[in-house]
Amino acid sequence: MKVNLFILVLVIFFFAAVGFPGCPAPDAVCARLPEMGDGQVTGDGQWGRGDRLWAMGNGKSQDPVHAESPSAGEDVPARKDMKPSGRSQDAFQDEYKDEGQDYDDEPFADERVTIADPIEPFNRLMHRFNDRLYFWLLKPVAEGYKEAVPEPARISVKNFYYHLLFPIRFVNCVLQADLTGAGSEAGRFAINTVWGVGGLLDPSSNQGIELPKQNADFGQTLGLYGVGHGFYIVWPFLGPSSPRDSVDIAGEYVLDPLSYFTPWYTSLGKRPLKMINNASLSLGDYEAVIEAAIDPYIAIRNGYIQYRMKEVQARRAKSLFFRNRKNAAPEAADPPPAN
Amino acid sequence: MQNRILKKRLIGCSLFLMLLLSIPAYAGAPLSAVENTVNRVLDVLRDPKLKGPAAKPAKTEKLRVIYKDMFDEMEFSRRTLTRNWNKFTPEQRREFVDLFEQVLEKTYLDRILEYSNEKIVFYKETMIGEDKAEIQSKVIASSKEVPIYYRMILKNGKWKVYDVVVENVSLVQNYRTQFNEILAGGTPEQLLETLRKKVKTH
Repeated sequence: MKVNLFILVLVIFFFAAVGFPGCPAPDAVCARLPEMGDGQVTGDGQWGRGDRLWAMGNGKSQDPVHAESPSAGEDVPARKDMKPSGRSQDAFQDEYKDEGQDYDDEPFADERVTIADPIEPFNRLMHRFNDRLYFWLLKPVAEGYKEAVPEPARISVKNFYYHLLFPIRFVNCVLQADLTGAGSEAGRFAINTVWGVGGLLDPSSNQGIELPKQNADFGQTLGLYGVGHGFYIVWPFLGPSSPRDSVDIAGEYVLDPLSYFTPWYTSLGKRPLKMINNASLSLGDYEAVIEAAIDPYIAIRNGYIQYRMKEVQARRAKSLFFRNRKNAAPEAADPPPAN
Repeated sequence: MQNRILKKRLIGCSLFLMLLLSIPAYAGAPLSAVENTVNRVLDVLRDPKLKGPAAKPAKTEKLRVIYKDMFDEMEFSRRTLTRNWNKFTPEQRREFVDLFEQVLEKTYLDRILEYSNEKIVFYKETMIGEDKAEIQSKVIASSKEVPIYYRMILKNGKWKVYDVVVENVSLVQNYRTQFNEILAGGTPEQLLETLRKKVKTH
């Protein structure tokens, strides 16, 4: 008796895994969106999954007159006629009627980030300033510099500037309760100072040692503590930021070891060299972003907050304290639209 | 006794069948799909016959074929427009998909053609449900590593890319914000006009 039951369960499980013929597969997407009533729409196993969307729309395209006022019920009878082609004529007739649900990237929904931009006119002005600065000054200079200085040397200069900011990364690893990261940074600093000729080389990243770089900064730490961006700021010379992330500008000065030994104005001289050197190693990157963008200002703004949010998430995953807490920062606070 | 052995065998058989039949769900695994496509791109780029500026159109043409095979441009377009899609007439949608594809192609083709033997590593595949996957890869250049993730969707038994995440920035999301902003204050026609200009000035 027990064995029979076991077999029955097995058989049910088997069909559940493979899919009942003629029944909707209980796949994750359908299960997560029960309110869409797609159970009726998804038919055979083949169409029941990724193509659900087209299946729903294709039904409507039989009746373009009613395309503007679709209802789920209409889709069912016409479904048999659809062709399994990703880009059929009908796809253009399809209305987008999922109200964001289907394109919300269910698994990646946490990425839907926005940022307030109350000083947009100022920001756009600064964006333009930085853009001109890059194309008129930084890029030509960096190109000349690239010609004059061989790549290994430029990488060394980059390593050196990166090495100098060790205190920021170390302190923030500690503040973020990422002790492994702090240890890794301390080890990197020691090894690269001694064996890397004062940070010009990066032997810590070589095979055998492999101490990973920790890009910890104050903005992330505040983000981990639940501080939001506030709003978007584009600083002249420095680029995209927010009040929260701007803390790093001050932090960089306070924790930069050179700033204790040298008068403040030398840091003004140091920054251009750093900028030119780094630009020479990434010529073409900014141009690609600008060229791909329809509105470069918005493209960069969105890119910046997406990038920062991922950084905070990555740091949170490493933190001993914050690892298990739900996203406290109001960064991903853009609620999904009500259905 | 006989009966019990039979049942045991039956269980064994069904277990085996289950394993066997669940394999097709992962057939054409997304990771190998992207990897193959990228390798095809690299083959074109490394082809000694296609070196030099004279061969650029031929190279571009070859790459376009691969690109079309790799990306699901409908999915890409709809995901970027989301609800704005409904503001477009079918003709406008058609034009939008075409123009958007051209914009993407032109900007990224130039980048791809700059390729100079950087190492590309595919190292992780995450299945999300049965029809979606994220493939993580990185491009290793001398001075930096660039993480590139491909988000894929299974359609008609084929894995197609519907979003590319470069250095943690999702392209679909990035364009979505831009189009949202433009369409919040403008008409679809204005957006199309911007795209037309963009395609022309390249």
